[in-house]
Amino acid sequence: MSNLSVKPLFSYGRKASRWLFDKLPSVELKNGKVLNGIKWAGQHISSPQNRVILGATALMSQPFIDLHNRNVDEETRKVSAARTVAKILAGTTTGFFVRYYTIKAVDAFTHNPIKARNIMQSLLFPKKIINPTIKGMQQYRLALGTYISLIVMLFTNFLIDAPLTKILTNFFVKKVKDYENNKIDTHIMEPQTQINSPEKKEEKTSNNPFIAHPSMDTFLNRKEAK
Amino acid sequence: MIKSKTPFSILDYVYKIYHKDAGKMLIHTGTISWILSSAAQIFGIMINDKIPKEQKMFLIPQEFADAVFNILSFYIVTCSFTGVAAKMVNTGKWLPSNVKNYLIKNGFKDKIGKFGFNILKDAKLTGRAKRSFELYKNGIGVLAFTAGSILSCNVITPLSRNKYASARQQQNLASLNNPNPALQNPQTHREKAKAVIHHKYMQAFMNRGDLKI
Repeated sequence: MSNLSVKPLFSYGRKASRWLFDKLPSVELKNGKVLNGIKWAGQHISSPQNRVILGATALMSQPFIDLHNRNVDEETRKVSAARTVAKILAGTTTGFFVRYYTIKAVDAFTHNPIKARNIMQSLLFPKKIINPTIKGMQQYRLALGTYISLIVMLFTNFLIDAPLTKILTNFFVKKVKDYENNKIDTHIMEPQTQINSPEKKEEKTSNNPFIAHPSMDTFLNRKEAK
Repeated sequence: MIKSKTPFSILDYVYKIYHKDAGKMLIHTGTISWILSSAAQIFGIMINDKIPKEQKMFLIPQEFADAVFNILSFYIVTCSFTGVAAKMVNTGKWLPSNVKNYLIKNGFKDKIGKFGFNILKDAKLTGRAKRSFELYKNGIGVLAFTAGSILSCNVITPLSRNKYASARQQQNLASLNNPNPALQNPQTHREKAKAVIHHKYMQAFMNRGDLKI
C-alpha cells in the first residue's frame, strides 16, 4: 500500500510551487502616492464602499454580458439586461445604505466603557479584550456592523429589493420598447401593425405572477407555437 | 468607570478575528451574504402559496444548486486572490521601500521574497516599520478582495449563469416540441416534478436572476 501513497506527489507539487514562487520577480514600491493609496484603501474601503464598487463594475459588465448572450433571442436578451440593471441598482442602493447606517449605529454602542456615559454606549464593546487598539476597534466596528446589516438585509431584500427590482425592470423594458417603436416610426414607417399585433396585445394582458415582465411569457408562447 | 455588562462573548470573538484583517472580514461577510440571499430565495419559494407542492419539490433543490455554485465561485476566487496577495506581502515579494530597507538593515536581505519567509513572524518588525507594514498589508488585502469579487460576481457568475440558463431553456423547449408521453399523465412524485418543469410559466420563473444581499 505504501507504493500507492500520494504523499510524494504533494511533496513534488510543494517543491515546484516553492521553486516557481522564488523565481517570481520582487516588487518594491517606492511611489509615495501609490503606497498612500494602498494604505487608504485598507482603512477606508469596507463593506459599504465595496458594495458600491461592485455595483458600479457590475453596471459596466453584466448588462453587456446579457446583451451578448447569443444562446437566447434578442427580446430575451433585452429583458435580461434590463432586469440585470434594475437588480444592480436596487441591490447596490439598498446594500450600501443598510450597511452604512448599521455601521454608524454600531459606532454609537461601542464606546470604551471608561469614557461611556451609560451602559448602552458600551453595550457592544468587546469586554474581554484588554487594551483594544484604535485601528483594531475601527475594524471591529466595521465587521460587527456588516454582520448586523446582513441580518437587516434579510428583511430589506424582500421588502425593498424585490419590489424595486420589479418596478425598475418594467420601467427599463418599457423605455427600450418605446425607443424601438420611435425608431421604427421614423425609419421603417410601419409601426402600427407591429404594435397592434396579437403578440403585443398578449404581452399587455399577461398576468403571470412569476415573471418580472410579460415579454418572457411572449417569448415562450412564440417558441411553443412554432 | 462604568463596566459593560454585555453578555455577548461573540463580540470578543469578532474583535479577535477581524481587528487586523479587513480583507478576511469582507470575504466572510460576502460569503455569508450569498448564503443568506440564497436562503431568502429558498424561503421565498417555500412560503409562496401560488407554487404547487410538486413544483416546490423541483424548485428548492434547483435554487440550492444555484446557490452552491454562486457561493463556491465567490469564495474560491476571492480567497485565491487574497491568499496569493497575502503570501506576496508576507514573504516580501511585494514590499514598500521603507520596510524593505528595515529588513536589509536587520540582516534579512537574502530571505526577502523567499517562499518560507514570514515578515511578521521571522523579522519581528517594530515601531514605524511595523505600523507601515500592517497598513500596507491591510490595503493589499482589501484591494485583492475587491479585484477577486469583481471577477467572480461580475464576470464568472453571470457568464456561467447565462450559459447554464440558456442550455436549460433550449433543452426544455426541445422537450416541449417532442413531449415525453410518460410526463403527460404523471403518476409518481418524480414524474410530477419532471412534468412541472416543462410548464412555460415555470421556465420563466426558474430563469430569473438572484437577489444579492
